[in-house]
Amino acid sequence: MTATPATTTATTGWRVGPVVADPYRWPFDGSVSTENLAVICIDWQTDFCGPGGYVDRMGYDISLTRAGLPATAALLELARRTGMTVIHTREGHSPDLSDLPANKRWRSAQIGAEIGSEGPAGRILVRGESGWDIVPEVAPIAGEVIIDKPGKGAFYATNLDLVLRTKKITHIILTGITTDVCVHTTMREANDRGYECLILSDCTGATDKSNHEAALHMVTMQGGVFGCVSTSADVIAATYNVNDSAGVAGSE
Amino acid sequence: MSSRARLTVPAAPEPYSFDLATTALLIIDMQRDFVEPGGFGETLGNDVSILQAVIPPLRRVLDEARQIGMTVIHTREGHLPDLSDCPPAKLSRGKPSMRIGDPGPKGRILIRGEYGHDIIDELAPIDGELVIDKPGKGSFYATGLQDYLVSKGILSLIVAGVTTEVCVHTTVREANDRGYECLVLSDCVGSYFAEFQRVGLEMFSAQGGIFGWVASSTELLRELDSIIESASLTAGASAVQ
Repeated sequence: MTATPATTTATTGWRVGPVVADPYRWPFDGSVSTENLAVICIDWQTDFCGPGGYVDRMGYDISLTRAGLPATAALLELARRTGMTVIHTREGHSPDLSDLPANKRWRSAQIGAEIGSEGPAGRILVRGESGWDIVPEVAPIAGEVIIDKPGKGAFYATNLDLVLRTKKITHIILTGITTDVCVHTTMREANDRGYECLILSDCTGATDKSNHEAALHMVTMQGGVFGCVSTSADVIAATYNVNDSAGVAGSE
Repeated sequence: MSSRARLTVPAAPEPYSFDLATTALLIIDMQRDFVEPGGFGETLGNDVSILQAVIPPLRRVLDEARQIGMTVIHTREGHLPDLSDCPPAKLSRGKPSMRIGDPGPKGRILIRGEYGHDIIDELAPIDGELVIDKPGKGSFYATGLQDYLVSKGILSLIVAGVTTEVCVHTTVREANDRGYECLVLSDCVGSYFAEFQRVGLEMFSAQGGIFGWVASSTELLRELDSIIESASLTAGASAVQ
């Protein structure tokens, strides 16, 4: 298929694409208005990337899960300035743990950080606790949607799909942690639902570096089985305003 | 034959326990389009012969599951003939030699009702086994799988099929979020890529079993054999009386 020309009349005039990406220039249809594009920030919570949180308690090095914060903050600045929809997700459970599957609780206990138990940042992965909230570097601002999810995927048992369809979102850029678990599960769910997805290698991270790299590599196989991989700099470089022929968003 | 038995299989990261009455064998996408030459998998540039190693052990597991009376479910990835359930982003992606819906040697690629879309003869469903047709990689999205599992009282899934890092992983992730306990059979799942087979299996059981458990079919069959043996002993004793 040839790329669709940028004929959509967008009130903001901002478009993204084609973005230099692997394995194809993203998106498949050439470019997308920022009005139809969402940046989804997955689980940038203290429990996953802050001191005293769940991942810290399990004994992993949180510098790996924090590595994507500066690039994500830069992407969010672009997204907010150019009219992209910004959505944040948080993994967590209700205080009575009624939405916590027994096997998930058992596994977290096995590894020494039982969900619902007290930790330095409050009860682990429980909604309303300080460890469950999003870290300040990429905190939501007024008007941005926050999706609370009980699982790894952001679509299951949430209203994310309804929010995206209501906002006429067709394309998704993914940031967040961890690459191989919650980001990948969400990207797979989004891909099955027909959303055109881009995951950013410098805006994601995992508790294990080789899992991060393998997860990104998997996306690129078979012509982009779940979408594409790129970087925040490539997205910024490919964002422009149709009303300003010289206007590249990152050049200010 | 008793269906109340509780079995425990040595697995990573911990032994996997399940009740035969509440466990289903879920076989993902063992379709000609993925496993045989001339199908969709080959049009993407893959060597499909690698996946055929999965067939003999999976056939043994399927035979014993049927003998014991376990619930067996098959899935097929595919689309309606008019492609109305195929997202444009999926249809247009990459540069395969043939696209979904194109005519191939086994019929239109990944189209429901075509020869290539159906399950290979060695693992063909028999009467009473549910076949789930799915438009995506995951077996839960846009299908009746969860309703069926609830209606049958299924709590655990033993998962096999192809490909490990794509449809098997997506389905196990969906199942895990829904609270199902999944055991992935390491030699009964296959990938076109050795690296993804390895890391895909590792990812299931990492972090205390973040998506589930992994064991070989040998470990599972040892337990199923013991059930079959004790049942045939019982049957033999009854016949003597």
